[in-house]
Amino acid sequence: MIAGVRGRGARLRSSVFGYANLLPYVLFALFPFYYMVITSLKNDAELYDLKAVPFLIQTGVIAEHYGYLFFKTEFLTWMKNSLIISVAATSISLVISILAGYSLARLRFRGVSAFGTAVFITYLVPPTLLFLPLSQVVVWLGISDTIWALIVTYPTFLVPFSTWLLMGYFRTIPREVEECALVDGASRMQTILRIVLPMAVPGIVCVTLFGFTLTWNEFTYALTFISQSANKTAVVGVTADLIRGDIYYWGSLMAGAVVASVPIVVIYVLFLDYYVSGLTAGAVKG
Amino acid sequence: MDTSALRITDRRQFLRSAGGATVGMASWLALGQAPAFAQKRELTFLSWNHFVPASDEELRKQAEAFAKQAGVSVRVDTIAHLQLDAKFAAEAQSQSGHDMIRTHNVVPFLYEHLLADVSDVVAKLGKQYGGWYPFAAEAHETKNGWRGVPWFWISFPATYNETHFKKAGFKETPKTWDDLLKMGRTLKGQGNPVGIPVSHCSDANTTFWSIQWCYGGKVLEADGRTPGINSDKTAQVIELYKALYKDAMEPEVLSWDDASNNRFILSGKGSWIHNPISPYNAALAKKMPVADDINHHNSPGGPAGIHSAPPILGLGIWKFSKNVEVAKEFIQFLFRKENYDAWIVASNAFNHPPLKHLADHPIWARNAKLAMLPAEAQYAHPRGWPAKPNPSVQLIDSNYILPDMVAKAINGMPTKRAMAWAQDQIALAVQGKLKAAG
Amino acid sequence: MAVGPHVLEAAGLPRPGRLTRVREWWEQEHVFGYSLILPALLLIVCLVAYPFGMAIYFSLSDTWVGSPGEFIGLQNFRDILGNEIFQQTVYNSFVFTSIAVVLKTVLGLWLAMLLFRTLRLKRVIRGAVLLPWVIPTALSTLAWWWMFDSLYSVVNWTAIGLGIIDAPGPNWLGQKYHAMAAVIAVNVWRGLPFFAVIVLAGLVSIPREFYEAAEVDGAGAWGRFRNVTLPLLKPVLAVVILFSTIFTFADFNIVYVLTRGGPVNTTHLFATLAYQVGLTGGNLGQGAAISLFLFPILAAVVFIQLRYIRRE
Repeated sequence: MIAGVRGRGARLRSSVFGYANLLPYVLFALFPFYYMVITSLKNDAELYDLKAVPFLIQTGVIAEHYGYLFFKTEFLTWMKNSLIISVAATSISLVISILAGYSLARLRFRGVSAFGTAVFITYLVPPTLLFLPLSQVVVWLGISDTIWALIVTYPTFLVPFSTWLLMGYFRTIPREVEECALVDGASRMQTILRIVLPMAVPGIVCVTLFGFTLTWNEFTYALTFISQSANKTAVVGVTADLIRGDIYYWGSLMAGAVVASVPIVVIYVLFLDYYVSGLTAGAVKG
Repeated sequence: MDTSALRITDRRQFLRSAGGATVGMASWLALGQAPAFAQKRELTFLSWNHFVPASDEELRKQAEAFAKQAGVSVRVDTIAHLQLDAKFAAEAQSQSGHDMIRTHNVVPFLYEHLLADVSDVVAKLGKQYGGWYPFAAEAHETKNGWRGVPWFWISFPATYNETHFKKAGFKETPKTWDDLLKMGRTLKGQGNPVGIPVSHCSDANTTFWSIQWCYGGKVLEADGRTPGINSDKTAQVIELYKALYKDAMEPEVLSWDDASNNRFILSGKGSWIHNPISPYNAALAKKMPVADDINHHNSPGGPAGIHSAPPILGLGIWKFSKNVEVAKEFIQFLFRKENYDAWIVASNAFNHPPLKHLADHPIWARNAKLAMLPAEAQYAHPRGWPAKPNPSVQLIDSNYILPDMVAKAINGMPTKRAMAWAQDQIALAVQGKLKAAG
Repeated sequence: MAVGPHVLEAAGLPRPGRLTRVREWWEQEHVFGYSLILPALLLIVCLVAYPFGMAIYFSLSDTWVGSPGEFIGLQNFRDILGNEIFQQTVYNSFVFTSIAVVLKTVLGLWLAMLLFRTLRLKRVIRGAVLLPWVIPTALSTLAWWWMFDSLYSVVNWTAIGLGIIDAPGPNWLGQKYHAMAAVIAVNVWRGLPFFAVIVLAGLVSIPREFYEAAEVDGAGAWGRFRNVTLPLLKPVLAVVILFSTIFTFADFNIVYVLTRGGPVNTTHLFATLAYQVGLTGGNLGQGAAISLFLFPILAAVVFIQLRYIRRE
């Protein structure tokens, strides 16, 4: 192994350089979040005081906004709904994408590339175009105003990207391993379940995280298909109940934003390494 | 929360999602409609998140009282008012959704063919309470009958800060928009400008309609099809706005949304805005000291008199609803004197009744700061006046053509060109509707 | 591969049961292939193709929300093309997307390289940097809106405090170029992590040997970047730029919350204008036409980029 050309001093300087340059990014990324947290803990009088310092809490931290959020609105129900919808929609998309992705990556049959193109084109269709006709379909299926409406429609924008990503990932798995298994008498399905999937775990984790994020944050469909307060998602519920025409409950709004972000942040931090390596193979080889 | 309503909804949901999804899909392929399950009648009502939360609480309380009395269950869903239009579109398109909706401005005309006829309820209530205000009637009576029962209107007076006015040496409040300009100059000079939004928000529309009528201008001719905005009266209005912007307001009005003027006056900086009493209510609720300084006065007038365009809200019933009769009973229940009175009080005088005898409620006379509000009814017209309300007005308002015209002029475009632009846009808005109206 | 039924018969062995025959039939490559894509196909046909077809029908008719429409051919498209507001929207969309994507690419690349080099606090820093992408856009944009508010803007307060500008500071959401800048800033803020993480993944996959070989050849930091990193990153970059362009062109939430298209339509994008005309205004036909305009533009962009990727 060739020894490092740069000495210890140079390495130290370069790492300080690295951190110093990272600082603006971290500040830029975190600053609004910090502001959201501060606002959620400030009392209203100080918030609307033109002379107050926006970054600090000068008149004492209050828990009132969180209290209002948790006890006077159905926030916990909405969080529960969001969780159920995200898990269900992501799982459904995952299954569909794994099957489709494997098929497009590995199998040969007529129309394979046409179908691949169709999947990709689906991605180009903007949700704002689709949601009015989709609301009709949702009614026909009898799932209007229920969380099922979202569970069924969210995969429409998750599946294209996930399929494409998993396609790339599956292609990196050596054919020989699969062919060995087939020769040994395993069925195709067994090959997928026992051989291919375990090797594609990073890609699967990546797709899951991506799906979870998009479904958790989605707004338009959730707003249109669901009216009952008990069925709303976290994002829609917070913006609906805490903005009353010309009165914004800023403190509670920001509290809602903070709390609604927590689950995803936790998941991301736990699985970040998988996420990075999952995207690698998919993106590079895709 | 009413547990019986909850249980019924849960059961219904379970049946729908589990059985309904499968059966629904099969019947979708075969018939195109999901089968309905037999259950206790549920009346659903889609309304807005009221600016005064206590009003919604009162509404829900009355809904429950009605539910017990009528042996049905009632569910009131509230969403942000700006999202109601999209919701209505989705429900109209899929021919399913709530039974009743809270209409606003020209919605009864936009959905004329999809809303049930409520002329019977309207006639009964009108007879009972001394007749409807003309502008409320105009906003809901289409040529094919009443499509909505006027529910309430929101007065749009001037909200001003007495202390700032006193400091500027004014003993009177502006009676005309021209007065406002003169006073505004002084007020801005002392650091307390006035504020009228010229941006993409509904307040900007409301104020423009009001000012324009005061100068004798109009957006549409009386036939409802010809754009009438290109006129020297409109030019006067634009010049007024420009002068106000330069001498009495600050540039921030170009980015205001519906809540900005509230914040403007509550922060203590602003001295005058054109707005319902929501800032006053908010200040009272939060015990802000500025509440003592805030007062209201009637809308200013112009050479053509005093006119204003207050929001007028109504109750509509979708034709596809299976509970039209129940909905009509519910509406009449809400209009019982004791119920409507309680509702006015809960909103702290924000909700104004569209019926003459209900408007005698003492809550306005009792409070000196609110006493002048009921008089606003005599100045009110529905949007589109002198034309009858029609759907192109919806498009004109939602595309913010009127504030944009003013903003263009403020930003330097010659007034004539700005008006010509607005004329074109209005013609485009009317065009689509010409064919559909036949 | 299992043996056919006739062979077994000839050998005197019992014919395989029906279940086994079904299984064998399923094992064939094309049957298996079709069956695997069936769920995705169903999803696309029922929930994408059909609504898409309906949307096309809307755009070719004069449907308003309350009434069914008649077929009017391309009239809607002709109307909007001649409409100044729509022309402004097209211009806005291109400006918005190109500036935002360029910024995200350059800053994302740099950020990815910085993340690549940090060794301590890796998880924490990466988590912090990912936060904008992860927070629900509808809510984070509200926070940004408050930060740009004409009276209470924190951005102005900070800049005035630092002495960069004089009081009272620009009205961010009320002036033409400032509003576009604000909207782009929020989009970049939100999209940067997506870029950075994907590029980081690409960086991680570059074998160290390439760098070491370049060092031995005497290449400095910039030389290594230009000759090793950039070429090997091209496929990753191309892909992420592609997806980001699609996302950014079709953006709705940011503009809707911050400016609703104003001031005077200078920040309207296709999605927000379509929503305003079609849903709030009621003219579904025109709204659908505006939305559909996105589609060929996106298809063209995608086609160009895909050809570039395929060539590499």
